[in-house]
Amino acid sequence: MRIVVCVKEVLDPDAVNNYALAGRLEIGEDGKSLTQTTIPRLMNGFDEQALEAALRLRDAGAECRIGVVSVGSDPATILKHAAALGADEIAAVMMEEPSPDYHVVATLLSSYLSTSGGADIILCGRQASDDDQGVVPALICEALGIPLVTNARAVELMQAAGETALRITRVTPDGDEVVEVSCPAVVTVSNELGEPRYPTAAKKIAARRMKPEIVTAESLSLSAEKLRPRVVALRQFVPTVSGNCEFVDGETPAELASALIARLRQESVIS
Amino acid sequence: MTEAKPVVVCTWSESQGEFPVGAEEALTLGRKVANALGTRLHWLVLGTLPETGMETAGRFGADGVDQIEDAALEAFSADVYLNALAGYCRQESPMLVVFSQSVETRLVAPRLAGRLEAGVLMNGVDIVAGDDGGLQATASAYGGDTQVVYELSGAACYVFALAANALQAEPAEGGPTQPGCRSISSDLGGVEDRIRVVEEARTEGPRLEDADVIVSGGRGLGGPENYGLIERLAEALGGLAGASRPLVDEGWVDSSQQVGLTGKITRPALYLAAGISGASQHMAGCSAAKTIVAINKDPDAAIFRYARFGIVGDCLEILPELIQAAKQ
Ligand SMILES: Cc1cc2nc3c(=O)[nH]c(=O)nc-3n(C[C@H](O)[C@H](O)[C@H](O)COP(=O)(O)OP(=O)(O)OC[C@H]3O[C@@H](n4cnc5c(N)ncnc54)[C@H](O)[C@@H]3O)c2cc1C
Ligand SMILES: Nc1ncnc2c1ncn2[C@@H]1O[C@H](COP(=O)(O)O)[C@@H](O)[C@H]1O
Repeated sequence: MRIVVCVKEVLDPDAVNNYALAGRLEIGEDGKSLTQTTIPRLMNGFDEQALEAALRLRDAGAECRIGVVSVGSDPATILKHAAALGADEIAAVMMEEPSPDYHVVATLLSSYLSTSGGADIILCGRQASDDDQGVVPALICEALGIPLVTNARAVELMQAAGETALRITRVTPDGDEVVEVSCPAVVTVSNELGEPRYPTAAKKIAARRMKPEIVTAESLSLSAEKLRPRVVALRQFVPTVSGNCEFVDGETPAELASALIARLRQESVIS
Repeated sequence: MTEAKPVVVCTWSESQGEFPVGAEEALTLGRKVANALGTRLHWLVLGTLPETGMETAGRFGADGVDQIEDAALEAFSADVYLNALAGYCRQESPMLVVFSQSVETRLVAPRLAGRLEAGVLMNGVDIVAGDDGGLQATASAYGGDTQVVYELSGAACYVFALAANALQAEPAEGGPTQPGCRSISSDLGGVEDRIRVVEEARTEGPRLEDADVIVSGGRGLGGPENYGLIERLAEALGGLAGASRPLVDEGWVDSSQQVGLTGKITRPALYLAAGISGASQHMAGCSAAKTIVAINKDPDAAIFRYARFGIVGDCLEILPELIQAAKQ
């Protein structure tokens, strides 16, 4: 059985947040990218958890090869991180543009998947923490004509009578839902899956020698027409939040509390 | 002359009998784009049209209401809904399909785009049409820390999901329209969802999405033993208790209590945040609240930029007093 995990390199969202919270997030001269060069680049957190889900399936006894693929201009670093965590094969789909269109990324990924021997389980993150779109897995499932299960917190394998299926616990607004789906399927993983593991030092060293397979649009025989973007980023900006906070007065916690409740009643926010 | 392709706003009720959340906002945006492009606005309703549906459609300037009613649409199923939608779109060739973003539309909208070879953008904030008839759309990124303006060109159709707090619903200028209502037939008999639900989700009590008052706690509470203060204040105010993501990740509270981009998207009248910094990913789930109140010991905390009322102080000292004061 082959499991393929799709991973994206993103700017560390916590670092981006810290700049934003301090009011120091800035856009560069190109009008598109963040200027802060000190923000580390890393594997999208949900993708790390998608890889963790794959590793847990293997730990639970699934006989599988785990492949990890990333589309980007320089995905080698996160792919080596994936190898250190236990990926058996790593593939870099080269894409020059800094922020390729989601449709293009999904076309590259689904084409890679179908030309590299297919996959029984395709694991993705629920969304990328830079664009928050959560559309690439859906576009892959439609391109391959297979089902999509989103927001998994647990993924289990069920094998019976030569059939492979998955039992997935999904996080939904109404609580957890348990579903079953036959493979092949695309599954997206949510943060509720829990902490991903850390690579050991020995595995990190071993992973340094692992070279990603280099894949290009040409090697996938994809025409320019197929790779024509549909949603092109023109510019990025930092929105301003116009604050008009009224700070409640008081010397003691009790005074502050009763002043707040009084204001809320006055404004009919509460009764 | 070929007729300009319509703009379609698509909604359904996520809980039976209720008016679809965000429909008015989506219609407001749809009307604006249709006006700019000189084309029609259709409101596509999957399932039963809400009772006040025709009146709403007129007020927000829809040129027509299209309804697909089918027993198969009674309960949500991604595969079935998708089939109904894709069939409709193939027939009507809209240039733009607008959804109000929710957990369900997050599943359906991008798959619809994949199926129709359309372009897609989620977390949408706005769309403007240029003089040349081209569309530019804005969507939030990094949970809302930034926004990105995209050019929509190269596809015959676009699918767009409008985020919960993106804009205010505004009735169409020039008074209500008198839209007609068409019943669209759809052959959904043979469509089965490929996903089998073996254990249904069971909401334990009322949902944060529907709450009028929410009191949420963050890392500033210091430890799980203090979360009870949040629950007690919520109870005293007749509301529900929520939390920021670190509390879920640390296992202090259940994930159904997480408010934010990857948690609940709420729209209460009052949202009280204690010990929460105001990261954009958290605010994505509560900035649609009518009144936000923040308690934080840091006077520069970002949450105060969103708050209407604020208390600078230690929430562990203030919460017990608030519980008292709320009961009086
Ligand atoms: C892709 C992605 C998705 C995310 N989705 C979500 C989401 O859905 N929901 C969510 O909440 N977060 C989400 N996050 C995390 C988010 O970025 C923040 O890290 C998180 O919201 C911070 O939680 P917090 O405010 O409780 O903690 P902190 O940021 O640690 O803030 C604690 C605050 O408490 C204050 N404080 C400390 N002690 C006290 C005291 N005694 N009294 C009063 N105030 C005190 C501090 O001044 C500080 O402002 C997401 C992040 C990513 C990258
Ligand atoms: N460039 C990429 N390379 C590999 N996987 C990706 C890429 N972009 C998105 N994905 C996958 O799709 C998920 C959702 O991404 P997005 O639709 O961009 O929010 C991510 O969590 C990844 O699993």
